[in-house]
Amino acid sequence: MGISKGDEMLIAEIKAGNEMAFEAMVLKYRPKLMSVLIGYTKSKDLAEELCQKTFIRVWQKINTFKGESSLFTWVYRIGINLAKNEFASSFSKNSKMTDQLNQDQHDVPEYRSPETELIAAESENKIIQFIQNLDADTKTAFTLREIDGRTYDEIAKIIDCPIGTVRSRIFRARKLILEFINQENIING
Amino acid sequence: MDKDLEKLSAFYDGELSHNEMQEILKEMHSDEGKRNTFHKFGVISELMQRHSDEQNSKIIHLRNYYKKTNPVITNIATAAATVFLTLIVLYQFDEDRFQVNKETSLQLSSAISSDQAKLQLLNADQNIMEHMIHIMQSNQSNISQQVAQNWIPVGFSVNPKNPNQYSNGRNNLFFHLENKQLGIKQVKYFKANNNWIYLIPLKDGRLLTAYGDIPPSIADQMIQSIYQRN
Repeated sequence: MGISKGDEMLIAEIKAGNEMAFEAMVLKYRPKLMSVLIGYTKSKDLAEELCQKTFIRVWQKINTFKGESSLFTWVYRIGINLAKNEFASSFSKNSKMTDQLNQDQHDVPEYRSPETELIAAESENKIIQFIQNLDADTKTAFTLREIDGRTYDEIAKIIDCPIGTVRSRIFRARKLILEFINQENIING
Repeated sequence: MDKDLEKLSAFYDGELSHNEMQEILKEMHSDEGKRNTFHKFGVISELMQRHSDEQNSKIIHLRNYYKKTNPVITNIATAAATVFLTLIVLYQFDEDRFQVNKETSLQLSSAISSDQAKLQLLNADQNIMEHMIHIMQSNQSNISQQVAQNWIPVGFSVNPKNPNQYSNGRNNLFFHLENKQLGIKQVKYFKANNNWIYLIPLKDGRLLTAYGDIPPSIADQMIQSIYQRN
């Protein structure tokens, strides 16, 4: 699976030095990367640190990204390699981090939202339950997008409705979920 | 306001034109609220994908729903369900990672060897991944309960240095047994280069994890035998 059209445009902007595009990319993929890194390191603090380093490395290496994999797969690979180096260094007295990153080269936006990466299990269940109880049309479009990774065009063909309807249904799902989250005070900030 | 956020949602999905994207990037840059919302879209997405097993059933329901309305669609929905249920993930073993000797070199690394596998990993159940990574990283035989001797395939004998490692001189097999099932109702297996990992839920509520260079054709007999004796 290669790069999506949306990520392709985002990458082109980042390669052109557009920091706003980079910021958007960090916001988009940080939760997924944090989830993987927390699962890998079993440490939220270490995962935070590795996540930060990963995005610094992404910024530094963005010109080497050829679009042969999805953008997140590439980000994921960098993150996991950094995590492996971290493990290797902790297992060997003589080892040293091979990734000497100059953090001054680019300031990765820091978001005061680590809590969003670690929603309490019971809250997660509430959200999932809420999603499962969404009306069928909204849930179908949203699930096809989020779980199956379908494009709006593909979803429109599957459920036989205009693309604009798909777009508004997916947004409706997100809006309702966010309202639920705010109402339940699950995510602050 | 909703139209703005709908555009933000479409941007998250990579569905805007180049000009629209430029516009929304500028808006996000000057609007912290939009940045927070965009980030929360990512949090929701991560949550959805991590709980994809629960969503699977919804896709299967979706298939039934479409069956009623449009039989042609059924195959598409079935394909989607199959993608979700596919849990064969390719791993790359990394012997150097923990500087372990050959005997204990069957360490699992989550460095995945192919893009397809990485994507599959991301869609797979996080708890299962964590369980496997935990076992492979721990490298401690004492964290496992003792396995019954009659579960061991014929021709395999125990390694005196590791009571959970068995070998027939050609193939190696490791066992890990503990009191958890991770919601697994039937045997799941994962391929890791030339090695395989089998997650075998037992009737008494425990989970047996077996890993080694034993392909499913051979493991199947072992698993049947374990079920007969458990």
